[in-house]
Amino acid sequence: MQRFFFNKRLVIILITLIIGFSLIAFSIVIRNNRKTPTVVQQFGNSAVGVVNQVVGAPVSGIKTVGTSVSELLNTYSENQQLKKQVDSLASEKVRNQTLTSENKKLKTELKLKSSLTNFDLVSAAVVSRAPSSWQNQLIINKGSLSGIKKNQAVVSQHGLIGRVIEVNSASSKVELISNEDSSSNQFATQVLSKSGNINGLITGYSQNTNLLTMGQITSQKKIEKGDRVITSGLGGNSPEGLYVGRVAKVEKDDYGLASKVLIKPAADLSDLEIVSVAKRAD
Amino acid sequence: MRISKLRYFFPLGLLISLLLDGIFSNLFAANFFQVSSSIESRLIVVWLVMALCFGEIDHPYLWSIIAGAIFDAYYTGIIGPMIMLLPLIVYLTLLMFRFFTPSFIVVLLICLIDITVITFLFYGIFSLISYTDASVATFIGETLGPTLAYNLAAFVILYLPLKKFFEHFSQNRSA
Repeated sequence: MQRFFFNKRLVIILITLIIGFSLIAFSIVIRNNRKTPTVVQQFGNSAVGVVNQVVGAPVSGIKTVGTSVSELLNTYSENQQLKKQVDSLASEKVRNQTLTSENKKLKTELKLKSSLTNFDLVSAAVVSRAPSSWQNQLIINKGSLSGIKKNQAVVSQHGLIGRVIEVNSASSKVELISNEDSSSNQFATQVLSKSGNINGLITGYSQNTNLLTMGQITSQKKIEKGDRVITSGLGGNSPEGLYVGRVAKVEKDDYGLASKVLIKPAADLSDLEIVSVAKRAD
Repeated sequence: MRISKLRYFFPLGLLISLLLDGIFSNLFAANFFQVSSSIESRLIVVWLVMALCFGEIDHPYLWSIIAGAIFDAYYTGIIGPMIMLLPLIVYLTLLMFRFFTPSFIVVLLICLIDITVITFLFYGIFSLISYTDASVATFIGETLGPTLAYNLAAFVILYLPLKKFFEHFSQNRSA
């Protein structure tokens, strides 16, 4: 009798393991596929997303009260600093407007309907974050109903933060650039240096230093510390001109061949409430 | 015969604690995910252990499998890890609980063991499918330690209210 029970338990454990791991394999295949998840999963995720917003509203309300009190204390000194910036911003804004209209005219003259810099932003609220240190993923409250597609780039008000990896009808998952999983980080980027633009790919992230690694650089042009890095729009997923960050360090590759650029990301990846998904116009 | 209200409250609480895990992770991301320490909120395990120790729960395995499926589909998109781990937690808790009478220390230890098991196996599965390349030493120092500390604090705060809650509804049932 004892032996029978032992065998039964063993069989149950084995079957659970087999089912579990085949489910894992199945979902990885789906995830790497270009298509969205299965219908059941999409529906479930959207439903849970709605409940999540209901549960999350009071909690984030309490947090908002806390932060507003602490922000109130800093308001005066911040105001002084901002006043100085506002003057220069106004002139920059006017200049920006003239340049945009000029750009538009030139484009119509060239009969260029859309270039890589054309994109629309869909803003979405971050409703949740995966409670896992291995998967830095956010859940946002917009999905395919708002025109979001898989692999689109996601930005915060400061700069690039990640890409969409799963789209449900009313919610989507965003994988942050801080993920160390190599498949997530391949953004085509460009360093705007004084000697010209240098193209490359973001190939990794180091959690210890909070720096992105940009590799695959073929150009010999000189890159300086502090140069701005933007997305280049090559490769078809992200538009051109999303701000990524500044160059923090330039070093030779492990093989001493091409240089490896370390980038300090502009966006703070741990304080995200509203993000925007960049939809390419083409 | 009266039907226990726990029949509805237990799955509801399971869902809410699951969602709160994610909401807290997002709101306090600056504190949770730091350079050398990252905390995985596991309020769902605290809820499960308290329910199993102090409440009379129908179908704990079924509900834990459903909660695991929601966790996997909603948070990680990789279905499987939590579907296997949450029922394992239920099994472990029931197994350990058989030998003890419920007291603060005993339930606390059961909860800590469960969280250690779930965090360790979650890491194990993710390193198996190479979604992380953190070494075991890094994992123990930077994730397991802070995770246990946070969840211990959560358990201490939630112990009395949850105990009262489950005992209240379980007594109603036997009366």
